[in-house]
Amino acid sequence: MAYKRQFYPGESIPAKNRKRYMDPKVKLKKLRDVSQDDVVRIMGHRNPGEDYKSIHPPIEEGKEPDCPIRKLVTPIEGAKHGDRVRYIQFTDSVYFAPISPYQRAWMYLSRYRGIDTGTLSGRQIIEVRERDLERMAKEMIDNETFDPALTGIRGATVHGHACRLDENGLMFDGWQRYVWDAQKKEVVYVKDQVAIPLDRRISVGKPASMSDLKKRTTIFRADGVDMRDDKEVTEYGLRIHKLRTLGGYQPWKVKGE
Amino acid sequence: MSAPAKPTADYAGKPLPEVQIITNRLLSAETTEKLLNALDVIPDIRQINMTGESLPKMINSGPGKGHENNHTERRVIHVGGQEVELRYLVGGFYIELDVEDEEILEARLDQIKAACNEHIEHGYSLQVGRYSKYRPTLHDYRSA
Repeated sequence: MAYKRQFYPGESIPAKNRKRYMDPKVKLKKLRDVSQDDVVRIMGHRNPGEDYKSIHPPIEEGKEPDCPIRKLVTPIEGAKHGDRVRYIQFTDSVYFAPISPYQRAWMYLSRYRGIDTGTLSGRQIIEVRERDLERMAKEMIDNETFDPALTGIRGATVHGHACRLDENGLMFDGWQRYVWDAQKKEVVYVKDQVAIPLDRRISVGKPASMSDLKKRTTIFRADGVDMRDDKEVTEYGLRIHKLRTLGGYQPWKVKGE
Repeated sequence: MSAPAKPTADYAGKPLPEVQIITNRLLSAETTEKLLNALDVIPDIRQINMTGESLPKMINSGPGKGHENNHTERRVIHVGGQEVELRYLVGGFYIELDVEDEEILEARLDQIKAACNEHIEHGYSLQVGRYSKYRPTLHDYRSA
């Protein structure tokens, strides 16, 4: 029997947003346009215009071993050229950031090929071949899953996702990679993702309003949409919990569940 | 064995009331300075302790290790004519009041609330109780 992929249960706003972000058929809204060179500067792996460093010869040179799996899988652009694997890491504030790390993992795995991603409590790293990473990073910074104030691009020392916001509504960052431009009312990056100062200030635009963020977020919160108010999501969580517990301790009882 | 050194902390020796102020947003150095100066003129304040999120002086890990952090909020502020080196983005105050009379306590609380209402833009919560110790314990005599 063929199932149609449902992505996530529930009808509440965060549940619907989770579905939207995960569904690769949904084209995410583009809210800003940070130039590709500026994205490269913020990541800090290479200088704009510099050649990509490679770790193996291009696949087209034909030095690959005879392997049926290699023949089966179409390599991504970076793999074809033998690029290094580089990363970008996002920190998402608990204060109604548009997305949170675990849903980032679901979204990445659902939308992109050739990636390796890791979830931690407040941050999500994605590792990909360099030229593909740059393309993906621009998409992620430009689209609706990013908010200048509540999403941070942080390669190291990500502390801040669960801290109170500062007076300008920005997520705390001990390394102050981005600052508030009071005149333009915009967030400006002054350091790259590992806090090495940038040669120029890079604006990532105006933060969204809290009312807008509450419509865009995937985060269930007691002061927003409580997860317990979404019946289907609660049942789904409880069912997984029950099956896992039974599976671990009394697996014979799983039959018929 | 030599006699233990006197503890560095200055304890009152009795549980004086302590006002806990937790702000809804982390305060900038400028706001912290203004608020402290507004609190400084209130009588009967024995001491003010502050907490918040630490702002490192240097980048202490990753490829940028060794760079100066240059955080705009980590700086020297001037409180009551004295220089105070601020190393935190402050989000909490503990104000110990040297009062023993309920009426004076109420009067001081009103003054503290007025100062907070004037300078803390995004709100705060305020409670009176005892949140730190008031006499030396074994911990004060431990060796480094």
